[in-house]
Amino acid sequence: MAEKEFWRWKEYNWHDENIDWHGCDAITAGVDVGSVSSQAVILVDGKLYAFATTRTGSDSPKSAQKAMDWALEDTGMTLDDIHYKVGTGYGRVNVPFADRAITEIACHARGGNFMYGNSVRTILDMGGQDCKAIHCDERGKVTNFLMNDKCAAGTGRGMEVFANLLSVPIEDIGELSFQVEKEPEPVSSTCVVFAKTEASALLRKGWPKNKVIAAYCNAMAHRVVTLLERIGVEKDFAITGGIGKNIGVVRRIEKELGITALKADGDTQTAGALGAALFGKALLEKSRK
Amino acid sequence: MGCFCSYVPEEILVAGNILPVRVLGSHEPQNVTEPYLFGMYCPFCRDVLAQGLKGRYDYLDGITLSQSCLHIRQSFIAWREHVEVPFNYYIYMPNKVQTKAATPYLKTEFEKYKAHVEEVVGKELTDDDLDRGIAALNRNRELMHKVYEYRKGDTPMLTGLEAMYMTVSGMWVDKDEHSAEMEKVLEQLPDRQMIRDTGTRLLVVGSENDDTAFIDMVESVGATVVVDDHCTGTRWFWNSVETGDDRINSIADRYIKRPPCPTKDWEERWRFPHILQLCKDFNVEGAIVIQQKFCDPHECDIMPLRKTFDEANIPSLFLEFDVTVPIGQFKVRVEAFLEMFGVDDLF
Repeated sequence: MAEKEFWRWKEYNWHDENIDWHGCDAITAGVDVGSVSSQAVILVDGKLYAFATTRTGSDSPKSAQKAMDWALEDTGMTLDDIHYKVGTGYGRVNVPFADRAITEIACHARGGNFMYGNSVRTILDMGGQDCKAIHCDERGKVTNFLMNDKCAAGTGRGMEVFANLLSVPIEDIGELSFQVEKEPEPVSSTCVVFAKTEASALLRKGWPKNKVIAAYCNAMAHRVVTLLERIGVEKDFAITGGIGKNIGVVRRIEKELGITALKADGDTQTAGALGAALFGKALLEKSRK
Repeated sequence: MGCFCSYVPEEILVAGNILPVRVLGSHEPQNVTEPYLFGMYCPFCRDVLAQGLKGRYDYLDGITLSQSCLHIRQSFIAWREHVEVPFNYYIYMPNKVQTKAATPYLKTEFEKYKAHVEEVVGKELTDDDLDRGIAALNRNRELMHKVYEYRKGDTPMLTGLEAMYMTVSGMWVDKDEHSAEMEKVLEQLPDRQMIRDTGTRLLVVGSENDDTAFIDMVESVGATVVVDDHCTGTRWFWNSVETGDDRINSIADRYIKRPPCPTKDWEERWRFPHILQLCKDFNVEGAIVIQQKFCDPHECDIMPLRKTFDEANIPSLFLEFDVTVPIGQFKVRVEAFLEMFGVDDLF
């Protein structure tokens, strides 16, 4: 019998049935091929029309195509109907249908600006295998950034490993992490493998799962706060990426920073692809002038 | 003669008809240095020692260290102990160069080194020999300056990668042969047609750097490295020996006054105004600050150096180097940095 995959987060697609894209002036798309997940976002005249979020496979071009096909599903739209397509993420140069590649750092800043509003000055992107602390201006243009180095602690992949270790669905981790009598000390915050070893020891010692989860969320929050402190946090502050959906980590980051993160109007995991699609719109307009 | 630092007085070696060879790493993973170097010593000193232990410098007749940092000193000491080499010499190059006593002190140390070289070659070095050594080095430096001049224009006539090949090869090749090659290059440079976009003009500054793969990557994503402050670049060749009657004193004075390594750049920081001048002269738009992991002297400079860049409105990107550089991870950082200069078309 196949082992249950507790790490699996929700893969889904969506489109706005109230928008009729036929005859629209600017249809643009962004595809974010990340190390763990891939997203495609379609904008119609600058408005969010459709998106899909799915797991990245071993083949970047196929992952890009899969995300795009899924975003297009049931819309009646085809790839040829899209006027400008931008690739981003670590697989950005492997998006076969892209007109241009832009880094995920620029795209998360632009997507975060759209998602959270133009008051955002610091964006923390907690992705599959890296974290980025980004400063941006009122247009969502990057003014400074910092990425984690040589370590996947504090990233989505680390959380996936933990969900499987504890046999807890990844989407329940945030809530469960607060079901503890007292906040425990964080486990190792510098290495996913060490954290896993430490958690296994705590479970053997008789710690309830929720307490171990809390210790891990605490470690992850502490890890990214040290990254943020190196660059400084300017208000308003927002979190993008998959971990942005995990309140166990988000609230602990907020507590450690003493700042409340803006609430997202949309799926934080799609911010990079959204930014890419927005850049696509600007590039399309420039190309028509 | 294997030189463990750019502070080894090559003039004296050339005077003795000895070929100075800068000892550098290979940028390959290795597993031979663990018994000899602490884990928190820098990857460059580790890479250097690995080359000795693997026998890749088995053609050397001798090695010389001119004191700079503890890490490379440990590589030298381990090399001396564990790699067979006929001659070795440790020059007590002072770290306190910002004192009047520095040149006379270094003069005495270089006199001792001259005596060592005389022992190696089995003959006395005359003033004529020293003049020949000084002339060869000065000519080589002057030609490198002339080549660097061609990087100042709107269209640099050579890439940063080509400049790195030029300077690093100059640390290995016979000076006269190297100078002759540069003279040929200088004849061709004015008419060279560059078929690449210059992109963002960058300065690269920091620890030892001979990582051609890194520079190549940077220049493949919309930038040109127009100048550097590295001991494998300008810090090595920037100033010449001002000849005087006391040759050894003149040579010592040159090494005391050259653009300093951060181990020697105190109590004032002489290097920062020099770097800002390079930025001005070469029309630099942004700086990449690199540090060999655990390189304490450069690490101590990073915060004030980046502050200096900020105050001069020169954006900077910091990257930490290891024996092998993760090109993919660095590429996204460099590309995002470059996008900061040119994203106006995206809004």
